[in-house]
Order: sequence, then C-alpha cells, then structure tokens
Amino acid sequence: MKNFRRLLPMLGLLTAVATATPAYDFYICANINRNYVIGSKIVTTNGIFQRTDAGAWRHFGYNDTSISALAFDPRDRNVIYTATLNGLWRSLDGGKNWRISNGWDMTEGRDVAVDPNAPDHVYLALPDGIAVSTDRAETLVRRENGLPERGKFTQAIKVDRTRAGRVFAGCEVGIFLTEDGAQNWRQVFATKETVNDLQQSPHDPQLWVAATQSAGALISRDGGLKWVRLAGVPTERALYNITFDVTNPARLAIGSWAHGVLTTEDGGATWTSRNAGLPENPRVWRVGVDPEGRLYASVFQETLFHSDDFGRTWQPNDLVGSLVNYFVTLPKAAN
Amino acid sequence: MKKFLALLLLATVAVAQPSYEAPMPGPPPDTRPDTLRRAYLERVNETLDWYLEAIDPAKPLTREQALVKLVRREDADLASQRILELLAEPQSGDMFWMFPWTAIAFAGRDQLSPEARAAIRDAWRTYFPMRGDTENHWVMYYSSLFLMTELYPGEPGETWFNGKSSAENHAEARDFLLHWMDIATTIGQGEFNATHYIGEYAIPMLYLATWSEDPAMRQRGRMLLDLLMAELADNTLHGVLRGPNARTDDNSVIQRWHALATYFSWTMYGHIPPPPHYGGWGIYFAIAAAHYDPPPLFYRIATDREYDREQHDHKRSRRRWRYSDVEMMPVYKTGYIRRDYAVGSYQGGLSDPIQAHVWDVTWAVPDPRGVHNTIFSTHPLSSSRVLQMYFTEYPDWMIDLLASQGKPSYGVPDKILSCSPYEQVFQDLDTIIALYDIPPGIVHQRINGFFSKDLLDVTEAKSGWIFARGGNTYLAYRPLAPYAWEDLLGYRQLPRTGGSGYVWERFRPEGEVDRILVSPHPQNGTIVQAASADEFASFAAFQAAINALPLAFTLQPTPAVKFTTLRGKQVEFTYGAAPVLDGKPVGYTSWKLFEGPHLNAELGARKITISHGRQHRVLDFNTVTTTDYVTP
Repeated sequence: MKNFRRLLPMLGLLTAVATATPAYDFYICANINRNYVIGSKIVTTNGIFQRTDAGAWRHFGYNDTSISALAFDPRDRNVIYTATLNGLWRSLDGGKNWRISNGWDMTEGRDVAVDPNAPDHVYLALPDGIAVSTDRAETLVRRENGLPERGKFTQAIKVDRTRAGRVFAGCEVGIFLTEDGAQNWRQVFATKETVNDLQQSPHDPQLWVAATQSAGALISRDGGLKWVRLAGVPTERALYNITFDVTNPARLAIGSWAHGVLTTEDGGATWTSRNAGLPENPRVWRVGVDPEGRLYASVFQETLFHSDDFGRTWQPNDLVGSLVNYFVTLPKAAN
Repeated sequence: MKKFLALLLLATVAVAQPSYEAPMPGPPPDTRPDTLRRAYLERVNETLDWYLEAIDPAKPLTREQALVKLVRREDADLASQRILELLAEPQSGDMFWMFPWTAIAFAGRDQLSPEARAAIRDAWRTYFPMRGDTENHWVMYYSSLFLMTELYPGEPGETWFNGKSSAENHAEARDFLLHWMDIATTIGQGEFNATHYIGEYAIPMLYLATWSEDPAMRQRGRMLLDLLMAELADNTLHGVLRGPNARTDDNSVIQRWHALATYFSWTMYGHIPPPPHYGGWGIYFAIAAAHYDPPPLFYRIATDREYDREQHDHKRSRRRWRYSDVEMMPVYKTGYIRRDYAVGSYQGGLSDPIQAHVWDVTWAVPDPRGVHNTIFSTHPLSSSRVLQMYFTEYPDWMIDLLASQGKPSYGVPDKILSCSPYEQVFQDLDTIIALYDIPPGIVHQRINGFFSKDLLDVTEAKSGWIFARGGNTYLAYRPLAPYAWEDLLGYRQLPRTGGSGYVWERFRPEGEVDRILVSPHPQNGTIVQAASADEFASFAAFQAAINALPLAFTLQPTPAVKFTTLRGKQVEFTYGAAPVLDGKPVGYTSWKLFEGPHLNAELGARKITISHGRQHRVLDFNTVTTTDYVTP
C-alpha cells in the first residue's frame, strides 16, 4: 500500500495481465432506500459496498443513506473516510468502528480526498467551503484563503497524485487550485454554476477533466492550469460526473440526469449517447469504470447497470432501487 | 412528520378526543394564575389520557403509549417489554428517532427494567442517526445528544454511535445549542412562525428545561420556550396562527386552524379546540408539559384582541449555500391584528425554498374547524436553481423529490404555497400591496390568488376591485392584471407500492371548493384592503369607500402602484424600489428584533421584553435570567 500512488497509473497494465482473481478492489457508496423520507424507518442496508471476487456486493461499515464519497488511506486500507450528511466519518479498523471528525459547524460533506503523498492529510468538500485535516481526521480546520466569501460551495475535491499539497476543488463559481495544502487557493477556471466533478487521468497525470452544471465538460492538458470546454458535450443541462477508463486512455464516460450516458473513445474529440438498453430516458446519477473496463451506470432509483462494451449494450447488475454516489477502485488489499 | 401522523392514525383506535369534538371553548371562570395553571394541566392530561384510552389490549403498545405509561408511572414492566420489542425493529434514520427515545430514557430511568434501559443505552451506540439539514433537525439532534450524554456521563467514544465520548458530545451539543439560541435572540429565528415545525423547537426546549442537569441550560431552554410561546400568543388570531410563516403546508396555509401550532395554542391558553390527534407530535410535548408553567402574561397576550396592534419583527431566511450574495436574507415581518382579522406579511423574496407563506389576511370565525379563513396571492415559483441555493443536491431530481417527501405542490402551477424572488410586498396596517415582476423563462408565469370557499358575497366590481365578506371582516382584493378562475384541487396521498416516500393524486374536494384567481401575466400585482364590518353601515358602504380610494398603477415596464389606503395613508410602491409611505421611504435596516406592544428587543441585544399592559417579563440571554415586573 505504501506505493499506492505509483501503482495507480499502472492499473490498466494490471488488468491486461489479469488472472481469475482480480488484482484490485472495487467499492461503491450506495443509497438503496428508494424515496427515503426523513423520519421514516430505514429498512434497507445502505452505505459502502465492496464487490466480492464472485461479483456480489458486500456491505460493510455503518448503515447510512447519505454517504456521498469515500476515501482510503493508501498506507492502510483499514483507515476509511466517508463524506456524509453528518460531515466526515472516519474508521481506523476497516469499518467496524467510526467517529465523526467534524463538529457542529461543518455539515453535509460532499467529497473527501486523501493526499497520497501526505496521507495524514485529508480534504473535505463542504457546502460552505473546504476543511482540511493534517492528522488523519483527528481534527479538521477550515482552509479557505482565496476562495470567494460567497461561491465556495464545494462539490468535488481531488488531490494531484504527483505532488503533495496540490489539490483541485470544484466549487460553485469554478475550479480552484491550491499548491500548498490548502493554505491558499486560486481560481483556475470560472463558471457560473457548480463544478460537479473533477478527475485526474490514471494514464497521464497532466490530464484532468471536469463535469459541470452548466459549462459542459472541461479538459486540462497541463496539470489543471488551463481548462477548455470539451466540444461535443452538451452544456444546457447538468453533467453529474465524468470518469476515465483505466484500461484505455482514449475512453471516458459522463453521467447525466438529462443526457444519460455519454462516452468518447477518442480522447474526448467526439461523444456518443449510450443509452440503448438502459431504461427509457435514463436519469443517470453516476457512471464508473472498473479496472477491467466494465462501465457502470447508476440509473436513478432503478438499479445499477453495467456494460462490457463501453455502453453499447447494458445489463442490470444489482442493487435495485439504488443511487450509487461514488465508485472507488484500489489495488487489491493484502489479506 | 406527516408520516408520523399517518402511522399514529393507524396505530390508534377511535377514541373520543374531548376538546377536539367539543363546542368552541368559552373563557375560563377566572384568569387567576392558579386557575389558568389548573386548566393547563387538565388539557395536558387530556392528551395523555387519550393515548392511554386508545390502548387495545389485543395489540402491542405503540411507542407513544409506552411513553405515557411511564409518565403516569403505570405498568413499567409492560412498557419495558414493549420497548425491547420496539428497539428490535428497524428505526427511523435520524433525529426524529432521537428525541422520542430521549423522552423514554428520561421518563423511564427509574422505572424501566435493567434490560430495557440497557437496550436504550446500547441503541445510542449501534444506531447511526443522521443530523439532518435544517435548523429544526439540528435542534432536535443536539438537544437529544446533550441530554443523553448527561444521563450517561463519563463514557468513552466507543459507547456512542459517533465515536465521541460523553464529554465530547456534550460539549459539541452545548456549543451548537448556545449558537442557535444566540442567533435566534440576536437576529431572529430562521423557521419563524412555523405552523408545524414550532413543535420541533418547543419540544426540545421543553426537554432541556425539564431534564438537563445544567441549571443554565435548563434556564435557557425555559427562556427559549417562553419566547416561542409568547410569539405564538402574539401571532395568533383567537388561537389560530396566521401568516407569514417561514414554513407551513398545503393544508395549514388555508385551513389555518389545522396545524400543530394550534395544539400549542390549545394547550397553553385553551381558547381554541386542538387539532385532530392533538397534532400528532403534541404528545411529545404533553409528556413533560407539567414541568412548564405558561405565564399568565402570555395568556393575556393570546386572548386579548380588543385593541388594534402592530408588531414588527426581524427574522431571517434559511441558510443559503450557493447562488446568493448573502448567507441569510433578513426578513422584515409585519403583523397587524384586530379583533376581527389579522394582516401579516414579510417583504417578499425567498425566506425558505419550499414551504414559505409570505402574506395573508386571516379573519376571525366563530369556530375555525374546517374553515378556510384566509385570502392572499402568490407567485407559484418552481425552480431547481432556487432549491440548490438551500440544498446540496443535484438540480434535476429535487422537484420530484419534494413530492415524494410530503410536499406535493411544489412543482404544480396552481400551488398556493410559495415564496418567490419575484414578489415584493408592502404592508401598512390592514393594507397589503404585492408586486410581481417575473422574468421570461421562470416557472410559472402566473399569479395565484386564493379565494376561500368560506368567503361570502364575492363581487367582481366594474372598478376592478373584488369584494367579499369573511366573518365580520370586509375584504377588497384588487388584481392588477386580467385573470380567470379555477377550482383549487386537493392532494390525496395514495398507497405506495414499495420503498418509502409519498405518492399523490389531485382530487376535487366534496362540496364547495376553494377557488384560485389565476392571472397569467408576469408583470402583476395584488392590493388587499381589509376592514371590520363594524366600521361601515353596510357592505355596500365599504365597497363605495374602496372604490373612492385614489389608485393609479402601471405594470410596464415595471409594476408600480400609487394608492391611498382606507386609513388615509399614501403609498407609492414600485417593484425594485423602497416603498414610500406618506412621502417618506420605508427603510427596513433600522428594524429591531421585536417592536410592538407585546414584544420588544433591540437587534443583537439578547434581551427580550414581553409585555401586556403593566405586566412584563424580561428574558435576558446575556445573564440567563428571567425577570417579571409590573409597572406602577
């Protein structure tokens, strides 16, 4: 695990030599309580699921309908962080016991990220800014210098794996970058509405993409300093997330309530709607790609679908009535 | 919340609810403090009795029945057994689980079996309640956590669901509660005048006042409860809470009696029947209500409607996460109450994204049960972007989500429960002017005026005014743009086929139906003038007086009105500009936290004076003291 950051770009190579036992672990955060209403009884199991070698989903951790993101300490898979309605939860024992890291003045965690080059450092995206821990979430402090007083709603936070303390935040008014562990932020791209997702390519660390509410999809080829819109991706409705395919640098996918699944197989030059085989007018909540190149689409409160041909055909997977909020792929943990 | 009530209805058998079914209550034989206190406790006991009388020996106790057994110190063994069974079932996922079980833990701490007490305690280790996303959620969550960590002090983090020790949880809960109390007493409450959510504040404050071991928190809880009940007394018309409301619902906004707030009016002051089933959540107040002593001063504020009075309050909107230049919009709330009617408003804009009610005229009726005694207009805004201001969700699903979460009207064009950034309101005494300037592309491009089935003699005059009578109140409603009439359909909950959440259908109510005045013009306005019938020789004389009032208006390019009110005030009001009253611009920035005959406080002072005549109570949150005095 110590070499996680170096392993990550190699996931594609790992899958090329995959054996019967996958060389990775695959996790999701799912809410399976269709139409949950505050005050109603929770009769289903929600939260973190790990895909077993047999292909089933195994729940672990606490039962929570609101987990929006998940991160692990690259040194120790037992150290887990979840961003939830309550803020930030942390487990030090593989999900058996948990602690809320934040106090009353932080709420509704949207995303969480661990710095692979400084793994004690944890970044939490909040609806009113950004909090940082330098002690594995024992304590959290706000670090928002450079963020606008209004406009710092933060939906996505991602750490550049090439350098400690280099972090991107997807905010209400654009993409912000810090290069000093969130001591200072600066805007590198302006938007009028929220940046919903940010991703760094597993193939090329200089390549970043973003999905936004009304500015379409964005791409940066210089490590996130300059961003341009990806032509061919619609802008009139919100894009919820964007993902790379770790097996193929030319393939990306976008999930969108209005557009369903959009894919490219030429590095973003052209995009194709891939909704045939999904429910009619699929309201796609999130897409993800596992290290074998299988594409997943979480269709709003329908089920999780998967495609082994990058969206040309779809099969229902499991988790009826679910919303999948997050996909995470990691090198397989040692037993 | 409604889900709880529905479950309660299923769980209880048909047992008489004496005060609900009785004729309108008359005044008490006397208003001496001991008489008022005795009557208050009788009403509390009526609520408790109803739950006990509904017990079916062939069925297990409900959670509420088990709680009442403990409060009455009856059948602790039976309650213990039932609590073990209840805790073995799936639980709700949030703070609505926490405060009922806090009540059970405290009511049963010296009665429950060791096994039941252990099961309750262990549930706070194994069960992971969500803290929620609104202030009432947080008040419930942290009040419960504060009390439970006092009940189980000195225990390590691994014994609590959130991994924090008793001391850590207690300190965090205390910090939040003090923070909330501070902003509520310096810049005003966010969820102000809530017809239902008043319970989510009053119940936790009562529990703090009753059970906290911290004398300062007990005192603060009692003081906040005083403030909530004094405001309720001041804002009700013969027990009925009328607008504006930070939050209400599709039913309570028109049948103003049918609200949990009415349960509190009935319990505190006894001058109105309680709502059915004591408002659902009323039981959770009743089980500790004996520990509260409503001041007779409040009774007089609630019941004395023999003089006209105007109250100005400073409130605030719900917290805005994004798409807004301000975190919380200041709310300038006006209330004018007379014996026969009440007029209330705030200045318009977005105070809460989903359930706000901006203004109305509500008239007094001999018996409010089933009566829709109110008139108002609204812009039926439906906007994902506005919802995103207040919620952290993605844009597309929230409108559908709201219907499934018990707010069925949010997206429909004929809704009457709405606030809008495209509505601006000015009130002077019993005159309301609401102007609308709805940009292209905004959903929906219309104004809905609510006209009750209970209005009499609705007359569309050639002058453009619409006249009507409600109780002993004469009403004049002036739409500023052409309109048509629609019947207002209701919302009926349907059985769901899976999962949780609500499914609805629209239906036409039996008998006479309410109507809405639909004006499909984005530049628009409404003027309403109310008066007591006693002021005029006849309804015709009132109409003649209104028709004679100077009125000039334009809608293009911006709605603007010049109007001389029935009270002789000259109002100039242009959308986007400060209203001008008798030649002077009306400025809101100097408004105090409370200013009026009954409640007074400076902004930021943390010191509220509640008055009626020569009697006064001062709630000083700086010194955590309550002082009563009488002026000579």
